[in-house]
Amino acid sequence: MKKLLTMLMMAALVTVTVKAAVAADTLAEVKKKGVLVVGCKDSLPPFGYVDEKSRQIVGYDIDFVNAIAKKMGVKVELKPVTSASRMPQLQEGHIDIIAATMTKNADRAKVIDFSHTYFFTGQKFITKKGTVKSLKDLEGKRIGTAKGSTSEQNVKKALPTSTVLSYDDYPQAFLALQQGKVAAVTTDEAILAGILAKAPNKSQFEIPALQISDEPYGLGMRKGDTNFVNFVNKTILEMEKSGEAAKIFNKWFGPGTQFHLQRNFKIAADK
Amino acid sequence: MLTYTFDWSIITSGKYFEWLLSGLIVTLKLSALSIVLAFILGLLIAVMRMSHNRVVRWIAHAYLEFFRNTPLLVQIFFWYFGSYKILPSVVNDWLNTNGFEFAAAATALTIYTSAFIAEDIRSGVLSIPKEQMEAARSAGFSYLRSMQYIILPQAVRITIPPLINQFLNLAKNSSLAMTIGVMEMTYQARQVESYTFKGFEAFTAATMVYLVLSIVITVLVNMYNEKVLNLHKAA
Repeated sequence: MKKLLTMLMMAALVTVTVKAAVAADTLAEVKKKGVLVVGCKDSLPPFGYVDEKSRQIVGYDIDFVNAIAKKMGVKVELKPVTSASRMPQLQEGHIDIIAATMTKNADRAKVIDFSHTYFFTGQKFITKKGTVKSLKDLEGKRIGTAKGSTSEQNVKKALPTSTVLSYDDYPQAFLALQQGKVAAVTTDEAILAGILAKAPNKSQFEIPALQISDEPYGLGMRKGDTNFVNFVNKTILEMEKSGEAAKIFNKWFGPGTQFHLQRNFKIAADK
Repeated sequence: MLTYTFDWSIITSGKYFEWLLSGLIVTLKLSALSIVLAFILGLLIAVMRMSHNRVVRWIAHAYLEFFRNTPLLVQIFFWYFGSYKILPSVVNDWLNTNGFEFAAAATALTIYTSAFIAEDIRSGVLSIPKEQMEAARSAGFSYLRSMQYIILPQAVRITIPPLINQFLNLAKNSSLAMTIGVMEMTYQARQVESYTFKGFEAFTAATMVYLVLSIVITVLVNMYNEKVLNLHKAA
């Protein structure tokens, strides 16, 4: 028993010592090393996904960080992250900024700092056509989403009787929907639109007009990294003013795309 | 310099403690069920692998190579998503409403581990002098009975150390089940992390649980081993 205790204590010690401090001025540091390391999604069109032709990660999120990096005069290095891994990756210094469809909320803002909202959407469902008319139709059903996302927490609040199944990422959740393993997949509308646009048999699915939350997206940076946060905020406000932000929106969501979304927001300083 | 302050209060009581506890229970169930089934199946495959019938031997061989040489994660996805294409829709509907996640994970873990166990048992059997089989057969035992009463009891004993390895691997591999939504230990640790951002505490707790689980398995199998060996000495 004594031996066991010693072993446990040793293991605990090892886990404590791996957590090292991360320098606070990312702006200066990134400029020094010449590379901005970005945590992004790589299978979530049109925010961040691998382009079939160029084999590069492209998307709405990527265009924003590219613009920021250009302003800093540094190169961009993209690192794919998942909803669950992105915050620890940032805190441990593996990435400098999160540009991965991340919803701003009070809990997260206690741990990291957010930029102004650079994208605005709401959480909805994707279902088999004609199966869901109101939220009642989803009570007690199995609902799929991705781990570590706000979608999971919102749906538990909106539909307490449902069972939430969290998959590693959205493509698997959608596969589960196709196979009838879940009755709906829930997350932000813009992500659902991306999934639906890519689905092989999209006529069988729909996104009913049921919204359960507002989802403002922000770029995530380390807590207290004020210089960097101010720089990023200033940059995206300028992008709004110059029309570049609207241009990026139209490039990925506008009339020429499969999504046909209206830009119902403007990038503005948070109150 | 260390800047991180641990806040254990979050996971030592209340909602998040309950989550982790329920995760632990699922991990225990999944591991225990899969260990028992994998051992039985592994034993069967090992016997088939050493059969004198060429077809039976070939089937066992193909099974071994296939399941030993493909990643467990792929096998989990195969049973969970791939089986949909093979099974009739009635079966699919039933499975989908009756916790198919757990069953698919248990199936994958069982089959994957059974292939390794079969090879361990086979090497144990091969280490028993073949004269014993010959003696048993000439004493009138059938092939299966010779295996059952004479060869396997000895072989399993020799096989125990590598078997412990397989059991430990299985218990830890069970964390892969979270990729298809089985709410086991690692899944719950991740949930606690995404709700509280105290991932470090949650994962440290999960690490401890796996460590204790592994030690318990090792101690149990060794105790069994010693009992068996003592019986052997007494006889």
